[in-house]
Amino acid sequence: MKKVININFQGRVIPIEESAYDMLKQYVDSLRKFFANEEGRDEIINDIEGRIAELFGESLKKGNTCITDDVVNGIIASMGRPEDFESEEANVKSQLGGESKQSSSSYNFTEAPRGRLYRDDNDKLLGGVCGGVANYLRVDPTIVRLVFALIAFGAGTGVLLYIILWVILPSKPLANTVSTKRLYRNPDEKVIAGVASGISAYFDIAVWIPRLIFVLPLVTGIFSSIFRHSFWWDGDPFPGIVFGSFGGTLFIVYAILWAVIPEAKSASEKLEMRGEKVDLNTIKNTIQEDLEGFKSRAEKWGGEVGAKAQEFSKEFTQTVTEKGQHFSSEVHYAAKKSSFGILKIFGFIFKAFFLFIAGIIAFALLVALLAFLVAGVGVFPLKNFFLEGFWQNFLAWSTLLLFLGVPVIAFTTWVVRRIMGVKSGNKSIGFSFAGMWVLGLISAAVLAFMIAENFDARARDKQEYTIMQPATGKMMITVPESKVKVYGRWFKMDGLISMTDDSLFLNNVRIHLVKSKDSLFHIQATKYSNGSDESAALRNIKEMNYGINQQDSTIFLDRGFSVQRGTKFRNQGVVISIEVPVGKRIMIDRKVQRRLNHFSLNNGRNDWDSDEEWNDYYGWDSDVEYVMTVGGLERVKDNRKIDKVDNSDLDNDGASDAVEEFKKSKEELKKEYEKMQKKTEELKKELDKPIDTTQYKYKKAVALEKAATLNISANNKEEQQDELLESPKLLLMKMVL
Amino acid sequence: MDIQNTQSQMRKGVLEFCILSIIRQGEVYPSDLVDRMKAANLHILEGTLYPLLTRLKNAGLLTYRWVESNSGPPRKYFVMTDLGLEFYGELERTWNELADAVHTLTQPQGEAITTDEETQPQP
Repeated sequence: MKKVININFQGRVIPIEESAYDMLKQYVDSLRKFFANEEGRDEIINDIEGRIAELFGESLKKGNTCITDDVVNGIIASMGRPEDFESEEANVKSQLGGESKQSSSSYNFTEAPRGRLYRDDNDKLLGGVCGGVANYLRVDPTIVRLVFALIAFGAGTGVLLYIILWVILPSKPLANTVSTKRLYRNPDEKVIAGVASGISAYFDIAVWIPRLIFVLPLVTGIFSSIFRHSFWWDGDPFPGIVFGSFGGTLFIVYAILWAVIPEAKSASEKLEMRGEKVDLNTIKNTIQEDLEGFKSRAEKWGGEVGAKAQEFSKEFTQTVTEKGQHFSSEVHYAAKKSSFGILKIFGFIFKAFFLFIAGIIAFALLVALLAFLVAGVGVFPLKNFFLEGFWQNFLAWSTLLLFLGVPVIAFTTWVVRRIMGVKSGNKSIGFSFAGMWVLGLISAAVLAFMIAENFDARARDKQEYTIMQPATGKMMITVPESKVKVYGRWFKMDGLISMTDDSLFLNNVRIHLVKSKDSLFHIQATKYSNGSDESAALRNIKEMNYGINQQDSTIFLDRGFSVQRGTKFRNQGVVISIEVPVGKRIMIDRKVQRRLNHFSLNNGRNDWDSDEEWNDYYGWDSDVEYVMTVGGLERVKDNRKIDKVDNSDLDNDGASDAVEEFKKSKEELKKEYEKMQKKTEELKKELDKPIDTTQYKYKKAVALEKAATLNISANNKEEQQDELLESPKLLLMKMVL
Repeated sequence: MDIQNTQSQMRKGVLEFCILSIIRQGEVYPSDLVDRMKAANLHILEGTLYPLLTRLKNAGLLTYRWVESNSGPPRKYFVMTDLGLEFYGELERTWNELADAVHTLTQPQGEAITTDEETQPQP
């Protein structure tokens, strides 16, 4: 049972068996290829086709209902295959003298002479440089093109190199079928998509080698991760397997190759894949192989032969049709004239320029996409502090892979396909990319919604710290040296200082300075957090540990607080409100500004409790002393001078400070003086003892004299102090002597 | 030395001469030409004939005219031009010289050269 089709052949409608038609088409194509460089190619082909049509007509007149394989085979046999008249041609032509020069290249071209580098006129995108190089090296031109493209956009030298070669190399039509293998996916031996077996056919190695290369990193990744068992975090099994360094790369490579490399569907493509010379005989052999394979398969199925065989024959005829089409599309017409005018040169330059610009734009787009992806991956370590439960993790992954990853892969694929000149006849790839991206978009939106939900409610918890009032009336606020080692800062986020696997250290701490309601300093810390509801937010607050310590008049604020693993980042923050009583001073250390996230001083007029405007910044500086007045905080410009004349509160300004200090030192001096007097008294007693009075009497006199002078000149503090300290020593020494 | 190769070389050497001599006798259709050559026991592939005729035509030795056919597309009938006749004359002279030479050389010594026949197709 065979399918019969009608074809329009040389102006006549001819019923022909489909398989016979394929044979005929291949035959004509092979002739066309053979006479590619012949001057009157079209005429020759036309003559031959005319004769064939005539023979068909005769066959149909004899009573045949259609043209069968046998008829076509008979005609081909009498006409002769290109291989058959190759040698005949050579002789005939050599006799024709002058003409032979022109035509000799037509059969020479099949054996592209190695040793000379040409630009390939038959297989070119731009100037045929890559095609020529590929022909010279006997590799797939697409590989050369890819390498060139990589160099071109990697370093820019490729463009120059290409132009130089373009100028230097002579142009010549080179055969593209001889010894050029093409990379195809092999549908006959496939596990996933036939990438590995296609590669093995191309490099002529056993199938298991590329397969092992693809699979091994995955396997080792899985094993090593089982030993480490560390990546099964929070219901998150993908990353180790898919993105385990090397394995991940190959996974992506496989995906890209899958998309880029065409499947070897037709017999001629399968031959090209194995690198055999494509001619009619070898194609026939392959078809026979196919047929035999089909037969053996059909036999295997025994009882089911009917249904299965039908299916297979369908598949087979389909393959044959497609093969015919592919074959014809692969055939290159080489009738190129070697001379081209100025217009053509301009055309080339324009084309090159356009390709270059387009390439740069494409490359920039790719880089932008990659940047997005990298940023996405960069945020990723944080996700455990953001996300809750399996679904959010799942969505985060699909967002990363589909929303950000797919455009990168799609774009790379597009570029590579462009370079390889693969016709995008297959729209399903584009659709599936678009579909995956839409899925990614949806999951991104859902994820954003779920996260927003988690931040829905906000709660706060106020806590009063008891502090000792500073004796001097001045309070210093500082941040201690940090014990937390800051590392991994390549990713910076507002309010985040560091992150380890199981904790996130935040310094979302702000300071408000307000006026105290009484005459005491007060410190209150208010912790804030978001959560999906009020109670969740409060739970988050409970997990926060923020400490305030006091040492004399200095208050040490913790540098931040950590969010432990298990707790999530829910925009936690601390507002420290320091109430300064009127007339008392306060100074914020510079370290506070440097180490805490936002240093914002409320000028005291606001009721601090009213809100948590964390972004208010009133231009207060650190390391500057401020004093609280009735009207708010005022700056103390200099320790000795009054910033603003304020008569109502003399105590508050610098003068009072000096007086206080003076009083204090006076009191101290008094105490000292009293001590000294006691000592002299004791010494006097000792001196009064009746032993050898003459010597001691003199000394006693000196000591008494000194004590007297001390009494008189109590005004000069420092000198007095020194002398006072010195004098008993002197006395004692002298006594010993 | 491949005997078949040498044989085919010898045959092909005179192919063009034979074709021209057939056409010289009158208008001819390529497949008839093949048949006549076949009848004379000189085999040629039709596929080889068409490019050869096209080349000869392009060289100005032949010309053709279209003739309607009831069994297929219009047929091309080839005729010889004046240039072709001249060319043929040259070839014929060369052939005669060659045939004489070959004949003389292949004949055993001492035998008469009078036997003059064969190989040359009848005019």
